Amino acid sequence: MKPAKEIRVGNIIMVDAKPFIVLRSDVNGSSRTGFTYKWKMKNLLTNAPLENVFRGDDKFDVVVLDKKPVTYSYFADPLYVFMDEEYNQYEIEEENLGDALNYLKDGMECEAVFYDGKAISVELPTTITRQIVYSEPAVKGNTSGNVLKEARIENAIESKQHTVQVPLFVSQDDMIEIDTRTNEYKRVIRN
Amino acid sequence: MPLPSPPRLAIFCKVVDNFGDIGICWRLSRQLAREHGVVVTLWVDDLHSFQRICPQLDTAAPSQQVEGVFVRHWAGQEGVFTPADVADIVIEFFAVDIPPGYIDAMAGCDPKPVWLNLEGLTAEEWVEGCHRLPSMHPRLPLTKHFYFPGFTENTGGLLREGDLPERRRAFDRDASAAFLSGLGVTPAEQAALKVSLFCYQHAPVSALFDAWRDGAAQVACLVPEGVAAKAVEAFLGGPGAAGSAATRGALTVRVLPFVPQPDYDRLLWSCDINFVRGEDSFVRAQWAHKPFVWHIYPQDENLHHKKLRAFLGRYCPDIGSLADFSLRWNGAPDNNENASLAECWMALQGDMALLARRAVHWEKRMLENGDLAASLLDFARSLR
Repeated sequence: MKPAKEIRVGNIIMVDAKPFIVLRSDVNGSSRTGFTYKWKMKNLLTNAPLENVFRGDDKFDVVVLDKKPVTYSYFADPLYVFMDEEYNQYEIEEENLGDALNYLKDGMECEAVFYDGKAISVELPTTITRQIVYSEPAVKGNTSGNVLKEARIENAIESKQHTVQVPLFVSQDDMIEIDTRTNEYKRVIRN
Repeated sequence: MPLPSPPRLAIFCKVVDNFGDIGICWRLSRQLAREHGVVVTLWVDDLHSFQRICPQLDTAAPSQQVEGVFVRHWAGQEGVFTPADVADIVIEFFAVDIPPGYIDAMAGCDPKPVWLNLEGLTAEEWVEGCHRLPSMHPRLPLTKHFYFPGFTENTGGLLREGDLPERRRAFDRDASAAFLSGLGVTPAEQAALKVSLFCYQHAPVSALFDAWRDGAAQVACLVPEGVAAKAVEAFLGGPGAAGSAATRGALTVRVLPFVPQPDYDRLLWSCDINFVRGEDSFVRAQWAHKPFVWHIYPQDENLHHKKLRAFLGRYCPDIGSLADFSLRWNGAPDNNENASLAECWMALQGDMALLARRAVHWEKRMLENGDLAASLLDFARSLR
């Protein structure tokens, strides 16, 4: 059993004896009970999508599925193709990739997840590094530590450009670390 | 199958914040029973805190009926329940863990009860996206729904009895003077700027007392017994028992007895500005037509600062003095961090007329969102 707060996008969980894949997880501050987890999920038996919200300490059975390291290879509309070390190719539907689409990059390393012998999703590393391709310059004088701005990050698919909230001191072309569990900026990498 | 009429409803309340949790649950319970004819059972783990706001409660009774509400002492997680024990609507307040035996009994019901997690109040935008969403039980054939109070039409609204505005309007100047006199507030104190003070222990009360003491305006600070005890006792130079009072400079601090909920409303209506805390008194201040300052319940990782800013963004995006003072009062970093609390108070005091107008306008806006009890009941009916 795993609490909701430890479950990641791409995990398969059992809910009422049915397998669901978690496609997206939005974490929000709640009252005194910690965080609220809003998940977009899909029933793997019926393909029916649904949204649910959970407390961080709600516990679920996580189905341990076969995983294999793969790299993102190319987009064969409407499927995304990943390749393992032996050059086997795995096609995954867009809707099963969930938030992973936000970070897709040519040659990106991740783990393909298999259910019933079929690759159904990918799991990303907890932390990934991406370059900022566009961000507005900081406004002078607005230096409070809590102020954030939008930054667009590199992505292999033009139509899937994704933005993250970053502190004002982060600039275009900077490399930043992102926590893929929360989709939040972690730190800037500068030599 | 529709809900029976009248429906039976159970609320599970765990007291963490002394008076806020039970304050909200008690108001909601009474309102559902009185205005909607619901048969309410309120399960509460701490009868002593409950008694402070409801003096007629018997703290030794495991089960009793008070003002039309069945009150049960929630003594622990043990207990065997059958489907017949389960209410038609079950509310876990602030995501408390309902006894496992009760949940098993819920799973055995046909039809299943409406199960709601009534969450805490926040002005953050994400709440609209989670309000009324389902939460499937991982193992049992049960679905809970999250229900959020809030400040917009896409949330459950705020808790408010139907006759509250009317009762406030009927409470005129004479009634206010009589009420304050009954609490021992002298005519001179009533002529001063009257402030009610309710906050958590970490509020910078001493600094505020200094500002009021050294200010030009006469201030009468009315504080319930036990609130801000250290600062109050330091000011009084002795124990802060109810009835104690002292005057230094322009400030008089008077300690009031801890009053039941209806009298707390009268206190809010009688004062010129109210310092409130948590959720229950915070909501009541919004129905009081008076300026107020919020001391928010502290949370890990300073999440409460985010919530405070979200509220200020909705309530007073154009009144910098209230935002500055509120952030300072809550220890939140702000853009005016070089100003002292005294300077922030001066600015706030200068905007008092503006704040009074905002309080009236805000109440009108909040009334348009409906009230929490009626909305919650409508939603429960929609699920069956």
